[in-house]
Amino acid sequence: MNVLKVDKIRKQFGDHVAVDEVSFSIDEGMIFGLIGPNGAGKTTSIRMIMNIIAPDSGNVSVMGNTDPRKHTDLIGYLPEERGLYRRMKIKDLLRFMTDLKQVSKVESAKAVDYWLERVELSEWKNKKVEELSKGMQQKIQFIGTILHKPKLLILDEPFGGLDPVNQILIKDILLDLKKQGTTIIFSTHVMESAEKLCEDILLINKSKQVLYGKLAEIKKSFGHQHLIIEYSGKDTFLDSKEIAHFDNYGNHVEIQLTKNGDAQKILKEAVTMADIQRFELKEPSLQEIFIETVGESAGEAGNE
Amino acid sequence: MSKKIFAVIRREFITRAKTKGFIIGTLAFPIIMVLMFSAMFVFGKLFQPTTKKFVIIDQPNLVYEKFTALQSDTLSNGKLQYIFEKHSVVEDELEASLELLQNKVRNKEIDGYMLIPETILETREIIFSARNVSDFEEQQRFARSFTEIIRNYRLEQVGMSAEIIQRERELGRVWLKSKQVTDKGEVEKSGVSSYLLSYILTYVMLLMIMIYGQMTMRSVIEEKSQRISETIVSSIKPLELMLGKIIGICGLGLTQLGIFGGFMYLVSTYAVPILQRFGIDSPDVFEIFGQLNFSASMFGFMLTFFILGFVFFAGLFAALGAMVNSEDEGQQLQMPLIFLLMIGYFMMISIAKNPDTARALWFSLIPFWTPLIMFARIAASDPILPSGTWLSIGTMTVSTVVLIAFIAKIYRVGILMYGKKASFKEVLRWLRYK
Repeated sequence: MNVLKVDKIRKQFGDHVAVDEVSFSIDEGMIFGLIGPNGAGKTTSIRMIMNIIAPDSGNVSVMGNTDPRKHTDLIGYLPEERGLYRRMKIKDLLRFMTDLKQVSKVESAKAVDYWLERVELSEWKNKKVEELSKGMQQKIQFIGTILHKPKLLILDEPFGGLDPVNQILIKDILLDLKKQGTTIIFSTHVMESAEKLCEDILLINKSKQVLYGKLAEIKKSFGHQHLIIEYSGKDTFLDSKEIAHFDNYGNHVEIQLTKNGDAQKILKEAVTMADIQRFELKEPSLQEIFIETVGESAGEAGNE
Repeated sequence: MSKKIFAVIRREFITRAKTKGFIIGTLAFPIIMVLMFSAMFVFGKLFQPTTKKFVIIDQPNLVYEKFTALQSDTLSNGKLQYIFEKHSVVEDELEASLELLQNKVRNKEIDGYMLIPETILETREIIFSARNVSDFEEQQRFARSFTEIIRNYRLEQVGMSAEIIQRERELGRVWLKSKQVTDKGEVEKSGVSSYLLSYILTYVMLLMIMIYGQMTMRSVIEEKSQRISETIVSSIKPLELMLGKIIGICGLGLTQLGIFGGFMYLVSTYAVPILQRFGIDSPDVFEIFGQLNFSASMFGFMLTFFILGFVFFAGLFAALGAMVNSEDEGQQLQMPLIFLLMIGYFMMISIAKNPDTARALWFSLIPFWTPLIMFARIAASDPILPSGTWLSIGTMTVSTVVLIAFIAKIYRVGILMYGKKASFKEVLRWLRYK
């Protein structure tokens, strides 16, 4: 069953089309990656799913229901731009979050205790937000979005600002929630974390959807177009017309082949002028797929 | 509207009501009033004058006895307020005597001297020389006493009895006793008390609308600058969030007004007996207090106009909050709003004296000023309702609803716009967004 079905949503602000006919659906219990460069239209898409702004056309259904007012309590949303009331006590703040999702007082208290324990902040319950470190506040924001046991969790850059230890803590919680059947949309421009967690992805660029499907299939469709060579000697073999794009680190080069590029031709040419220590043909990473698809402007940024 | 709005109302109310600032501020008002009165009383005692000594040179030998007889007041410690000493000089020694007296003043042996010249009946001028000539009351008092003495002397010189004249003058004195004609008959009331009450209450109204309006703006700015807005509006509609905020803060204002109203009731009922117990006995003050009739209906109107005025201005303040990114920017942008309120207040100062003119009515129907001017007119005319009372409540309600509908459109876009301050052109564009 589709937990979320988005059908040709479109949004225009003045002359600028922020989201242009984006469609996708997500099955229950799946982690879905909504990726794209900054300003591509990810946040606007999410805001339309959350009924924060109304689409100009198209519609959104959650658990088969198209009435946007019925959606919000089923969804937990962690926006990219997020913060907390600094002068509120943690327990009051979390209670307020559950009130907004119409959770009963008893359920709310139970959930608050459970999750504070889980993120190791129980002793901060009666402290004010402003007394917490930035990382602690991030964890409070995160559990604020899951206290009401949402069917669908939408996380916009959830790991931003977290140290590696807390990143692992949050990742483990996400995997637990997935096991319990929570569907998760994960929006990011950090490809490494999307690649590790997501099964399906939707890539948005310049307000249009450009790639959509199972990550494994997308990778397959890009084929073995990626080559890593470790070498010493001359690197003029990189001038080959089989190569679409490369990243040279001096004695380690990552090569993107052209559509029908032949890796063997490059190898033959390379051995004539350099010592080859490693020659590996591999699946493209999401990062590379991203750069290739999003194109020159974003590609240059990715190479720096 | 969903039940979620109550979560917002509760949060806005409780987080503020629990702050020390609010509790102190609320209790402080009556306490400060009481303290101010007590302080005036205490300082009055603390800085009471000590006995003063004056030398009088009575050259015509006309006034000394009568004058000193008139200055027989005692201080609270039982001592005489003034001690006088007669100094006689012969004509050619005057200069020397004055020099001597001036030295005595300088050496603080005496506080001053008065010279009544031989020609007093013609010149009508008495020299008052003292180390301190800033006690205006004292000089007036002496002048009055001298005037009375010289006047009586002159009357007697032309064969009239000063006593009889004095008596007849007193018997001929007439007062105006002002009564206000109301639906229920006539009520004794002085102009001063109507004006004073209207003035105090409107001032409180101005402060409340300003303070709580700014509080609403800060609340909006906090959610924006701390990036809380998006999390909240993913659960609740922006309109509900805004209304919840306004209602919650309005509740806070009403709480404070309730306490103020209770205090005013106590003042108008018990102030006179309490003042008397403290030994303050001033019929003028009592008369004003006695007529400070803070009626239940007036309190009802005060609450009504506070709610209307607050919601109207809170809407405007909320819109400003949604347009800016920091409190500093908000402080700058709010100045026109504050001025608007102040203008209403300045107009009210004149209007409260003549509350029922046609022009006063027109101005009290302009929504920016209705809460101040209309309410001031009601307070000044109480217990009669001035013209346009119900009309103004009607127009204010309609304007507020229309305003809030517009503001809601600005608000929902503004709270998610980070970065730069929005221009008014941009804000107009927000109004057109679907």
